[in-house]
Amino acid sequence: MSEYVLELKGITKIFPGVKALNNVQFQLKKGEIHALMGENGAGKSTFIKVITGVHQAEEGEMYLDGTKVDFKGPGDAQAAGIAAVYQHPTSYPDLSVTENIFMNHEIKKGGVLQWKQMNREAQVYLDQLEADFKPTAEMGTLSVAQQQMVEIAKAISTHARIIILDEPTASLTANESEKLYKIVEKLRDDGVSIIFISHRFEDMYRLASRVTVFRDSQYIGTYDVDKITNADLIKAMVGREISDMYPKVAVEPGEEVLRIENFSRLGYFKDVSLSVRAGEIVGLTGLVGAGRTEVMEAVCGITAKNSGTVFLNQKEVHVKNPTDAADLGIILLPEDRQKTGLIMSWGLGRNVTLPIMKKMRNGLFINEKKENELGKKFLEEVDTKAVTVFDPASSLSGGNQQKVVVAKALAQDNMKVVIMDEPTKGVDVGAKAEIYAIMSDLAKQGYAIIMISSEMPEILGMSDRIYVMCNGRITAELDAKEATQEIILEHSMEKTEKKEAVR
Amino acid sequence: MAGKSGRTINATPQNVWRKRILSWEGVLIVILAVVLVLCRAMSATYTLENVLREMPKYLAEMFLMLPMAFILMMGEIDISVGSIVCLSGTLGCFAVNAGMPFPVALLIMLGTGLICGAINGAIIVIFPELPSMIVTLGTQIIFRGIAEIMLGGGGSIAAKNADGFRAIGKSLGIVPIVFFLVIISGAIFVIISTKMKFGRELMAIGSNRLTAFYSGVKVKKVLFISYVTMGAFSALCAIFFTAATYGANTTTGKGFEMDAIAMAVFGGISSTGGKGKMIGGILSAFVIVCLRIGLGQKNVNSQVILLIIGILLIGAVLLPNISARISANKKKAIS
Repeated sequence: MSEYVLELKGITKIFPGVKALNNVQFQLKKGEIHALMGENGAGKSTFIKVITGVHQAEEGEMYLDGTKVDFKGPGDAQAAGIAAVYQHPTSYPDLSVTENIFMNHEIKKGGVLQWKQMNREAQVYLDQLEADFKPTAEMGTLSVAQQQMVEIAKAISTHARIIILDEPTASLTANESEKLYKIVEKLRDDGVSIIFISHRFEDMYRLASRVTVFRDSQYIGTYDVDKITNADLIKAMVGREISDMYPKVAVEPGEEVLRIENFSRLGYFKDVSLSVRAGEIVGLTGLVGAGRTEVMEAVCGITAKNSGTVFLNQKEVHVKNPTDAADLGIILLPEDRQKTGLIMSWGLGRNVTLPIMKKMRNGLFINEKKENELGKKFLEEVDTKAVTVFDPASSLSGGNQQKVVVAKALAQDNMKVVIMDEPTKGVDVGAKAEIYAIMSDLAKQGYAIIMISSEMPEILGMSDRIYVMCNGRITAELDAKEATQEIILEHSMEKTEKKEAVR
Repeated sequence: MAGKSGRTINATPQNVWRKRILSWEGVLIVILAVVLVLCRAMSATYTLENVLREMPKYLAEMFLMLPMAFILMMGEIDISVGSIVCLSGTLGCFAVNAGMPFPVALLIMLGTGLICGAINGAIIVIFPELPSMIVTLGTQIIFRGIAEIMLGGGGSIAAKNADGFRAIGKSLGIVPIVFFLVIISGAIFVIISTKMKFGRELMAIGSNRLTAFYSGVKVKKVLFISYVTMGAFSALCAIFFTAATYGANTTTGKGFEMDAIAMAVFGGISSTGGKGKMIGGILSAFVIVCLRIGLGQKNVNSQVILLIIGILLIGAVLLPNISARISANKKKAIS
């Protein structure tokens, strides 16, 4: 018998164009709680999906109790006793708790489902977890914490020996988290091995005996929790030194262009105030789900807000929808280029002119020649790699699609404020540098830029000023000169209690 | 700016005519020609004069196809139009029989269409989570229900004084008035969809509604206007249908919505939105109408006609998929 219940060696997973996992390893002892940590996009989720058979690794080996296994699909992993519980439970909200627990492994007698017996057994599992709801309750009526309990009950019902918890505490209150800790400890005492993914250091200190850190799709190391300091762990997570891929030109900021005051939306963000000046790049960072995108979408009238005022050039303005924002010169470059940024089946030129069709008309009719020429002008300005303005947006790489999004913003000639949401997400390194150059250029031309980003190096490399958000609030405003990765990370992982206030 | 590589992007369209000829619309013209030649060869009575004389009844449905194409281009649907035709026709006959002047009756019919369209549009805009198929299924039942209540036990009404309807049912020479109207409306719809902002916005909504919204397209406004237009053209259809039948009954307009959708889809306008051209819808409508008249003259059973049109429709939807599959297989074979 092997010392490890689960061992992975040299796992490499390649998605088109990206190495999501690069030669990583992992060892899980029987009956231990093992934390898995790393920044957003470090490869944790992909790694979990390899273990649960959702993805198949291109290279590497996986051993269960010392025996080599090869999962072809999630069913194989389930049969081998591996279960995963996700941050947002992937359940059937209209079915009962019992139905959810026994989904795909129902108890049958001669082809007839044995509901009484299943309800009874479900009750036993729920009792074990000290749950305060009935197995006949409808899943959708339960809280997130309760739904997670059902998912855990489901894992127990399949006799899972290895349970993976993917950011289970992310949407839980302090009390609910404490309850979850107790459940996890009980599972461990029953001999189940647990992989616990979390952004919260408190989770790790409270539960885990060992921690493995991933960074940039690579394995960094495995440490004993009681032997590693907070500072060392942060360094392991963010690690890399900032190179000079950030061609930030020093620009003397001008007048304040945009200021927002006391932006609040119940359940999303509270009392957010920030400002940006002409020629300034302001970084807005924090963990995914901190409320950064939501605040900026509210500024642009895309989503609702409960309260808050917008000042443009010191004058109060009212933005009710994206058209208002565009008319005022506040342009959002959305994070998801495929869903909200571009029409993928359309030609590049038409994408660029979509927001300014009004100006493309001679009288009643669209002047297509003018439109194509304008598209060409702005697409060339950002150096898009394309043959014609009729190429569909779907034919470009992520980086070039981002350039089209920038061209689309530039075409709106009244633009004053540019809000870029994760401008380099899914963009390869070379194109990243080009996009930074464009940003720097925009700042030099006097545009006010707000950059939402989870990537520390880009926040530190490009911003003049940095706001950090955590749980819907701004927790710090830093001058780029005084900011370090450690300070930012600290502010983006504040204590849990504050969350209660927002909700 | 950063564009220092000196790369240029071509902004002049190329091979425009080649693309036009090889498009589905090009194929439809060929199909239309084949249908006309075949029908003429089979039936001696299939003359221009006869075809035009029979056309008004079918052409009324083309009024439905035009705005239906807009709605399909947005990825939505409206299956209540047949019921709007019925309700509008019923009210028109009641108005005429009550002794109102013919123009007032026409206004009542148009108003009915506008109101019904506005109801559909309002529900769909206010409750975006409801699929338009279900909303218009509901109003389909409601609108026809109201008409049936009004028609009462007999289930039908005849216009006592049909002079007005007879007048608009007339022809200029051998060409019926409605033919001119259909061609003019068709031309307007083609221009809106290819040359105007509204048409571009329709396509943007159908291709990617979220991106359209983020880019400042007033999605709700475009949706609402389209449904109101649909209602207004349902009333137009009702006017000319009544002009061909001089009355209304509980089955008036039944299945019209499906005919309109069939014309649009056969014309290459995808029901999932963002695809197709208005001109294709118009061409396919003429293909279907000419085929129906031809088969009708040969005394082909009307059920058999439906069967043939059904097969054509599925074939039209399958064709692009099949050709894509064939070219994919070819590529595979080469590599």
